[in-house]
Parts: sequence; structure tokens; C-alpha cells
Amino acid sequence: MDDLPEEVQELIEELDKAAEDEEEDKIKELTQKLLATGIDVGAITLKKLSLLVMDGEEEMTRGWTEVAIQIGMDPFKTLIEGLAAGMSLIGKKYENGEAFVPQLLIASTAMYGGMDLLAPYMKQSENITSKPATVVIGTVEGDVHDIGKNLVKTLLSANGFNCVDLGNDVPASKFVEAAKEYRATAVSMSTLMTTTMAEMPRVVKMLIDEGIRDNVMVMVGGAPITTGYAAQIGADASPRDAASAASWLKEAIFDFPSENVRWG
Amino acid sequence: MVSEMTSKERVLAMLNRKPVDRVPVITGSAMVKEYIEKSESSWPYYHCNAEMMVNTVSLMHTDAGLDNIVMPFGMFIESMALGLEVKMGRIDIQPSVRSFFNKPEEVNYDNFLKDKFVKTTLDAIKLAKEKYPDAAVTAFLVAPITLTGDLMGAENLSMLSIKCLQKEKQMQKMQDWLSKALEINRIYAEACVEAGADILYYSDASASPNLVMPEFYYQVAVPAEKEIGDFVHHLGCPWELHICGDTVPIIEGMASTGADCLSVEQAVNMKEATKIAGDVPVVGNVTPLLMVEGTEEQIVAETMKGLDDGAKASMLGCGTPPLSTSGRLRTWVKAVADWSSENF
Repeated sequence: MDDLPEEVQELIEELDKAAEDEEEDKIKELTQKLLATGIDVGAITLKKLSLLVMDGEEEMTRGWTEVAIQIGMDPFKTLIEGLAAGMSLIGKKYENGEAFVPQLLIASTAMYGGMDLLAPYMKQSENITSKPATVVIGTVEGDVHDIGKNLVKTLLSANGFNCVDLGNDVPASKFVEAAKEYRATAVSMSTLMTTTMAEMPRVVKMLIDEGIRDNVMVMVGGAPITTGYAAQIGADASPRDAASAASWLKEAIFDFPSENVRWG
Repeated sequence: MVSEMTSKERVLAMLNRKPVDRVPVITGSAMVKEYIEKSESSWPYYHCNAEMMVNTVSLMHTDAGLDNIVMPFGMFIESMALGLEVKMGRIDIQPSVRSFFNKPEEVNYDNFLKDKFVKTTLDAIKLAKEKYPDAAVTAFLVAPITLTGDLMGAENLSMLSIKCLQKEKQMQKMQDWLSKALEINRIYAEACVEAGADILYYSDASASPNLVMPEFYYQVAVPAEKEIGDFVHHLGCPWELHICGDTVPIIEGMASTGADCLSVEQAVNMKEATKIAGDVPVVGNVTPLLMVEGTEEQIVAETMKGLDDGAKASMLGCGTPPLSTSGRLRTWVKAVADWSSENF
């Protein structure tokens, strides 16, 4: 943004401050001033949103989401090219070992803060062209750690997946019931503890027993889970972190039969 | 050649950085289903019945051959005693904390030592000391950062851990929570030592680089762990520090806390960790799941590799899985004895 005219840069700085201080009227006033400069406010807003989410700036993300709403930007565009793009940026950094879990968490909070503001507008939008693939996600029974699971959910959502979050301490049967109910494309299980890893093969076995194992892809993850373990229990993948999970599923879905073929 | 030691002498010598007759084999948690059944304990009563607790955990020493006897069974006692919601799990699943406080002022520990689960732990320590004076009786306690996470919620801890590095106000908030945790740590530590614990084993799972940044660990966690560690030393008791995940980026900090040994898990490169830790003993780092489904070859190979790489005691990563089998536990202990006879 350094190449923008000085007047525009000053307005952006003022907007940052108004956003941080949550001054709604000031945000509206400055948005109008920014539009009056003739600059492409939409492009600036998307860029700002992605960087603010990446940095986990919750208040400023909300403020700039207000800007997006003020200028009438398509809420899906704001979500995908602004908020979710920022989540992907920090996800990539995490994948490369350049960021840590707390950074992912505050980025996630920032993204959801912006999404909350967009929600009422998204309901009115008709920009839904395709039904997103559904992922049933949860932490296995006996394990209440759900930070990792929540991050997977966030990054899957940021990549356009519809996540059915079963929460933590989820009995094996719940995964299977939800997969059927939502005609899921994937089941994603996580655990942080070695003591509860044995729940994962129970879910896989139940999927087989119910005759729906081939209807879904099974992802397993968490600190103690290795690719060897995933293969051993019959899971399809064990991405090493939340960002890899989203990347893997985005690729894998292309070669996977459609929902109607799988679920009839 | 060091003459034959009791289990307790062996573990204490290792912690004191003295010669041992063979490498000690120790554990952090010891809720093993097979031993619960063998000792005729019943769920969930073994969590609040000292005799059942000791009958079960002592089998790790008398049957499997480990050098320590560890109680209680999980990291929930402190939270339970503070009134937080705890789900008791199953015979093969450890209890887990399900709720947290909204602000530090809500944390009330006036009756902490009167809680029945705390009292069970203290009674179990006394009983284990009486019945097994040759074993290293070890209290399994929640360390300050993890307890702070239990008080305020682990996700809130993780987020505050980054915000507090950026803003003084957030740091004050962090310290307000942490000071509550440390006060509870002190009360419980003193009671455990009074009850006769030979060693306090602190697990600071939430201080892991998996959850907080190393920068936070060095700035906030190290002083807190050192504070409780110094207090424990002042009581005349050694303490062990366990942190989950790949702790290589924070091993130097862990070593600076004054802990008598550092417990690491299988994600850690033992050779690298021992090099960084210098003269502070590093213990670990056998994959716990091997005790559930490992072959004899796998158990022996991984145990020996840890020792070859410099571990001063063999320990299962983050504790003993409930579905561990006694046969595998014995295989592990034998592997350590075999390594010792070849190398001592």
C-alpha cells in the first residue's frame, strides 16, 4: 500500500484508528472520504482485511468489514477474498513453521468477528452457485482438547467447506450418524492424547460396518497421529496441521465421486 | 560399579546427577486398565479411594518393575477441587476438565485441601510410602501454565499468551490468572511433600510450543515454573518438569527452571535435547502407544535408542496409556535393564 497517494494513505491510517477504537460513525465518514478520492476502495479493503486477519487484529478486521459493507461489496467476495484469504495466509505461515498456534487462534477470532458482521447480508445474497462439500468434524471421545480441531474447521471453512462441528469428546457413533445425516464428503477426527487414539479406528470400523466407509474420506490428526498410524487404521490422510488438512481435502475432493453417486 | 540400589535410591540418584546401578524406568501417569482390574479396583471409585489408588498404581512397580509409584491418575484434581466441571471418563479414559472460570476473582481455593480428591491423593501418598518404602513415591501435579489454562480455558490461554507479549494490560491480565495458579500450586505442593512424596512430577502440557509461542514460554512460563520449583526445593523435595510436544525450542528454558530432570516425549530429538540441557538430566522419550500395540522389537529398539541418545531415565512420552499391557510394560523395563548391563 506504500505506492498509494499520500492523501489515501492518511485516510487509511485514520480508518485503522477508527476501526481499532470501534468508532462506527467515523468509519462511515472516512469511507465516504476514501470513495471521494476515486481510488479502488474495494481492492484496498480486501487487501486490508486479509492482512488484518493474518495479524489477528480483531477490532480492525471488524472495522474494515464495516467498510466493505458500506461500499456495498458482495459479502461472499469480502469473505473469500478478504477474511478467508487472510486466514489462508497465516495458515501457510504456520505450515512453513513461521507462525504458532496462538497466531492462528487470534487470526481465527478476527475472521469470525468479520464474518459475524457479514452474516445478515450473506443470507440475503443470491450468490450461492454450488452446494459446498460437507465435513463432519470433531475431537474423539475422551478428549476435550479442541483447539486443533477448531483450527482445522476454520481453515476448511475458509476454503469453502461446510463444517458440521460435533465438538469434543464425541462418541464414535455420533461421527457415523452425522456422516449419514449430512451426506458428508469427509469425516475429520482429532485427538491430542495418545490415550484416546484408539477411538479413531473404532469410528473407521463403524463406518465399515454401516457400509458407508467408501462414501466419505477419513482424515485423522493431532499431536500423536502419524501417517503410519493413519494408514494402519484405514484412514485416508493424516495431514500434519490444520492448513495441510484444508490443502489436502481441496485436492482430494476432485477425484472423489459426487455426493449423488456416493449417497444416492 | 555402583552397588545395587532400591528403586527410590536409583531415581533420586539420577535426579541428583549421581551414579546409578542401572538406568531408572519411570512414568508420569499410571491409570492402566489391566492393573485396575487386576487390583479389583472399580471405576470411578479408584479416583477417590486411596487404597484402590495405591493397589492399582503400585502394580506398575511390583508387576511391571517401574521405579516410581505415581498418583493421582490424571490432571484433573486441582480443577475438581476448585469446583470446575470434570467428566470422569471411563476405565480406559482419564477424567477431563470441562469448564473454566470467567475471571480470576472467581477462583476460590480456601477449601482446596478439604476436597475429597485432594485428600485421596494425600492419603494415597502416605499409604504408598508405608507399603512401598523402596519405591520413588511421586505426586503427579498440574504445573502453573497448564493450571492457568484450566482456570481460564486453554484456548483463552493460548490467545492471551500472544496478546500479553504485545500489550502491558494483557500481561497484567495474564499475571492475575497465573498468580492464582501459583498459589494453588504452592498449597498442593506443600501438602504433598508433608504427606511424604519423594518427588513432585509437574506436567506443564499447555506450556508446549504446540499451544504457546517459545517467546511466551521464556518470558512468562519459565519464571512461573522456577517460582514453584524453588518453592518445592525449599520444602526439600526434588521435582520433575514435563512438557508435551517437540520441546527442543524451549529446552534451554526448561533447564533454567531448576527442575531436577526434564521429561520429553517422542517428538523430541533426544540427542539434541540432552546437548542443549547440559548437565540437567533429560528423561523420556518412548512412544506411549508402543505399550498398547508395539511389538517386542519396536519397544526394545525405541527404548535403547532413547538411552543411546542420552536419556538419563526411560519414560513414556506423555504417560502410560490406559490400554497398556503388562507384558509390554515388562518388555520395556527389561530393555532398560539390558541396556544398562551392556553399558554400565
